[in-house]
Amino acid sequence: MIAVLIGLLTGALAIALIGESIFDTYKVMWDGAFGNFYFLTATLARATPIILIGLGLALAFRAGVFNMGAEGQMVLGAVCAALAALYVPGSGIVKLLSAFLAGFIAGGLWSLLAGWMEVKYKVQLLISTLLLNYVAVLFAGYLVAEPFQDKSGSAALAQTPMIDQAVWLPKLFAGMSVHMGFVIAVIGAIILYVVLQFTSSGYEVRMLGKNPFFAEYGGINKQKVLLFSMFFSGGIAGLAGTVEVLGSQYRYVEGALTVPGYAWTGLMAALLANSNPLGTAVAAILLAALQTGAMGMERNTEVPLEIASVIQGVLILFVTAKFTLSWWKVKKKAGDVNGAV
Amino acid sequence: MELFDYSLFASAIRMVSPILLAALGGALCARVGIFNVGLEGLILAGAFSAIVGNYYSGSVIVAVLTGAFGGVLVSLLFGLATIKFKANPIVAGIAINFLVLGLTTFGLRAIFQVKGAFYDKDMNGLPKWDLPLIENIPVIGKLLSGHSPLVYTAFIAAILLYIFLFKTVVGFRILAVGKNEAAARSLGLKVTVLQYGAIVASGVLCGLAGAQLSLGQVTMFTEGMTAGRGFIALVAMMLGQSHPIGMIGSSLLFGLMDAMSIRLQGFSMPTQFTAMLPYVITIIAMFFLKDRGLESQASGQQSSR
Repeated sequence: MIAVLIGLLTGALAIALIGESIFDTYKVMWDGAFGNFYFLTATLARATPIILIGLGLALAFRAGVFNMGAEGQMVLGAVCAALAALYVPGSGIVKLLSAFLAGFIAGGLWSLLAGWMEVKYKVQLLISTLLLNYVAVLFAGYLVAEPFQDKSGSAALAQTPMIDQAVWLPKLFAGMSVHMGFVIAVIGAIILYVVLQFTSSGYEVRMLGKNPFFAEYGGINKQKVLLFSMFFSGGIAGLAGTVEVLGSQYRYVEGALTVPGYAWTGLMAALLANSNPLGTAVAAILLAALQTGAMGMERNTEVPLEIASVIQGVLILFVTAKFTLSWWKVKKKAGDVNGAV
Repeated sequence: MELFDYSLFASAIRMVSPILLAALGGALCARVGIFNVGLEGLILAGAFSAIVGNYYSGSVIVAVLTGAFGGVLVSLLFGLATIKFKANPIVAGIAINFLVLGLTTFGLRAIFQVKGAFYDKDMNGLPKWDLPLIENIPVIGKLLSGHSPLVYTAFIAAILLYIFLFKTVVGFRILAVGKNEAAARSLGLKVTVLQYGAIVASGVLCGLAGAQLSLGQVTMFTEGMTAGRGFIALVAMMLGQSHPIGMIGSSLLFGLMDAMSIRLQGFSMPTQFTAMLPYVITIIAMFFLKDRGLESQASGQQSSR
């Protein structure tokens, strides 16, 4: 909460620097995010992939692995979902299901590759996931620039043809941008919360993250749990790409998922919420609101939209600093007890 | 048009310098046990403040100095967060990247009242230096001569860093901190001072990298002009195993691939695969080069080992 205040304060300082009224600007920003029904749904639509990315990462973080590859997993999921929706024969519902399956599996396998390299060859996951992002994004770029490019339009954009209307995820409200993907994301958050909190496999994942030695002592197959966590983590990130393709883009467009920085925002959401699935969803909506609000602000005032990333940056800096500070205090206390004995 | 000619390698050398400078900065941080993901932000800060310095002073030297200063300011913030407040360096680095991207775009609006890019024809770019003697050697002269001073600085900095790390006492102390922070502390080394020193030095190097970006080819600043170079520098650092000479090699590889992919566009060939190559090579290299576990220690990652 203090971090949020400091973030907004920094934003206010920046606004004052270019000579705009602070309160008016923040009001415009608020209106741009929640002002009317249309903007509210736009915020929720933007939050959809961010929630899913955040959930996938939260799962990995809970298992104690630093999965930085959400971007690549999301992009591969998106492109595979688009291709499945285009080329799998059958009725709309078959195409839809196969698109979801393809998106999930593509993201999951890509993530599993990094997990497998970590378990088998001790290639550091943090680094390999970061590297695999580039490979995935470039490969997806190749797919839509060469073999699967949309040749119908006059402009040769790097994108797939448009998918059949029967495969589109329905919009929740006519004319609004929020689509079924948002419902999927929210249900996903609840399911992940329940699984992590109340099932034995969720307990294994959390135990691995909290204390890998204890987990092993308790008879948990560390490698298996790690691989499963990575697969599902990447799979959920792949779903984030899938719902973007099926719900709002209706095709894979190069850069449409990477330029808005969904993956990094999702990472921030998971970190802000300390990897709690429900909290991640809330944090994702807040961050999305910050971004759509800033867009509204840019339309109506002289303040550029990048103020959102200033506020986000400050927010995250303070949250991590504070979070580790409290962790450090706990540790110190434990040390004192030992000393007394 | 030939695929390989002198200008390809010459442009590769030019593209290398920001990556190499930033990679050296990242390596210094890695050597004291801090994995610096914020290189991207540091470079961007350097690029922006170099342009600001250039605009107000009209002097290239002042511009380069302000560029380095901009990098230092942001690196101090990063150092404060990670060392003083014990924030996770990876998270703090990502936050720094976002922060600087926002701040520079904001500054563009606040200082120059423009959006997107700033260009002023009165600004001076970095001069091109022709090396005496070397410029007259047939092949090598064409490759090595006629670059900006910062390009030469990058390579000299790599060699100096090598001497510093492996031949001086302070360098050995820095290596000790990276190997085992607790042991270094118990030996009475001023770990915190060394860490701040490394981070500030990396700020200087990244600031110079930014100055080369904004003043090197065309004298202008565009929003987010680093375009992932900070992360590429990070990869070059890993591939080079945080070893200065190794990083010259890995940065040259990235620069060459960069220049190649621009060249290949002229041949209407898929450039994605050449662009992919350095990352794939790095992953493969990681199979063979068993790291000291330095980065994983720094990130606090608990994994299967």
